[in-house]
Amino acid sequence: MKKLSQLTDFYYETLYPSLKELEKQRTQLKHRLIVLGIIYTTVFIFLYFVLAPAVSSSWDLLSVLVFIYLTIGAIGYKYLIKDYASEFKIKIIAPLIDAIDKNLSYTPTTHVPEHLFRKSELFTSSIDRLSGNDYVRGKIDDVNIQFSDIHAQQRVRNSKGKDEWKTLFEGLFIVAEFNKNFYGKTVVLPDMAQNRFGNLLGSWLQSNNFTRDTLVKMDNNAFEKEFVVYGSDQIEARYILSHSLMKRLLVFKNKAKKPVYISFIGNHIHIAIDYSKDLFEPSVFHSLLEYKVAMDYVETLHLSLGVVEELKLNQKLWKNHKKNTKLE
Amino acid sequence: MSTPLIVLIVVVLVLVWMYNSLVSKKNQVTNIFASVDTLLKKRYNLIPNLVASVSKYMEHEKSLLQEVTKLRSDANRAHISDEQKIALDAKVSSALGSIMIAVENYPELKANENVMHLQHSLNEIEEQISAARRAYNQAVTDYNNAIEMIPTNFMASAMNYKPKEVFEIQESERKNVNVKELFS
Repeated sequence: MKKLSQLTDFYYETLYPSLKELEKQRTQLKHRLIVLGIIYTTVFIFLYFVLAPAVSSSWDLLSVLVFIYLTIGAIGYKYLIKDYASEFKIKIIAPLIDAIDKNLSYTPTTHVPEHLFRKSELFTSSIDRLSGNDYVRGKIDDVNIQFSDIHAQQRVRNSKGKDEWKTLFEGLFIVAEFNKNFYGKTVVLPDMAQNRFGNLLGSWLQSNNFTRDTLVKMDNNAFEKEFVVYGSDQIEARYILSHSLMKRLLVFKNKAKKPVYISFIGNHIHIAIDYSKDLFEPSVFHSLLEYKVAMDYVETLHLSLGVVEELKLNQKLWKNHKKNTKLE
Repeated sequence: MSTPLIVLIVVVLVLVWMYNSLVSKKNQVTNIFASVDTLLKKRYNLIPNLVASVSKYMEHEKSLLQEVTKLRSDANRAHISDEQKIALDAKVSSALGSIMIAVENYPELKANENVMHLQHSLNEIEEQISAARRAYNQAVTDYNNAIEMIPTNFMASAMNYKPKEVFEIQESERKNVNVKELFS
């Protein structure tokens, strides 16, 4: 696989003509958005002052208007940037993925199948709505891998008795074949309890988590500090999480700089990185040529497809090649 | 309800909890050791096949092969204690490691499909044993902590629970397995 620096070069050199063209579109779009935004806002302020004398509670009016303002605004914004966004994905993201590996396919509008996300058991709350985009799948070093943006939500009832959508997870979801055969389930989650409540109370809370299998205490202090492991089989969890894999997962987590959820189920590794935002979306208010903006795209792609190399999933020493299960 | 009665109920509940927690920790150790034992047996069963495949070529390592055969028969004796099994496992691991290194000196052996297959099986089982040892060590640590820490230590001494030994994890196991070397 190409190095990060090679990909950055590719972005700035090969993609430069497309970037310049898109930049033109982007500046025009930005101006249009600002002008429309100002008009739109003025209309609402005007509406408020017109309607305010007619209603008894100006607070109620304000909250209703703000709600309508944000909803229509968000829909309008999405509509206005639609063409630019799809062009950006075709001209920038697709070639970048192609540059990483020719065998990868990219569909901007779909996501990793919902059943795979549910099968990963990374989130135990009920998932009532799932959406996503930027679906990449293919083989890297003979290892099946796929990933996409995922937004999983749960329907909850708020204190006023109204239904609300609560985000369970928003970020990158990666599924890849694992290089060892196993039968049980092992789940590795960010260690929140021990960080929040300290070692003693934290580990007591962890060992009494009824939504999970039994707690597996790992013999790597740095890993234990970052993660908590639950597994259906104490030995198998350690067979999967060898000392070297624990070290590699730590390196991976540090590279991602975000909370990382990992599970090993059905001979596959599932990784969810909580970015709390939709990735691979074009920047509208910052130049696409800005280093930080560019690195956001390049780094995220490199990180997700680099999983195979980073975690050495391509070293199938112990696995019977004939038994390889195919990703559905 | 009178206060002494409540205190008595609480004391009994705490005692029951301590007793149950100690028993469950002891059982966890026993259960995991049973798995370790199964895996060790699986590895011992590979030894005769390995010795048979390599002995034709390995003239200089005869003593090593004899040693590993002897260790296997020791391990197969009936009624050996867990401590003895742990000690034997360490010796077998190091003897098998030496044989595998010696194989590198014999090109005919390295190319032999049977030996290659055995090598893979041994590596696989070695990984599983390593995982089982780590699981066992964790279970023993939890158990030892419980019988040495207040307040469960009083209950443990009344139940005559003794600290148990852990497997020593060899430094080589902490290193990454170099696949290239194994295949070359």
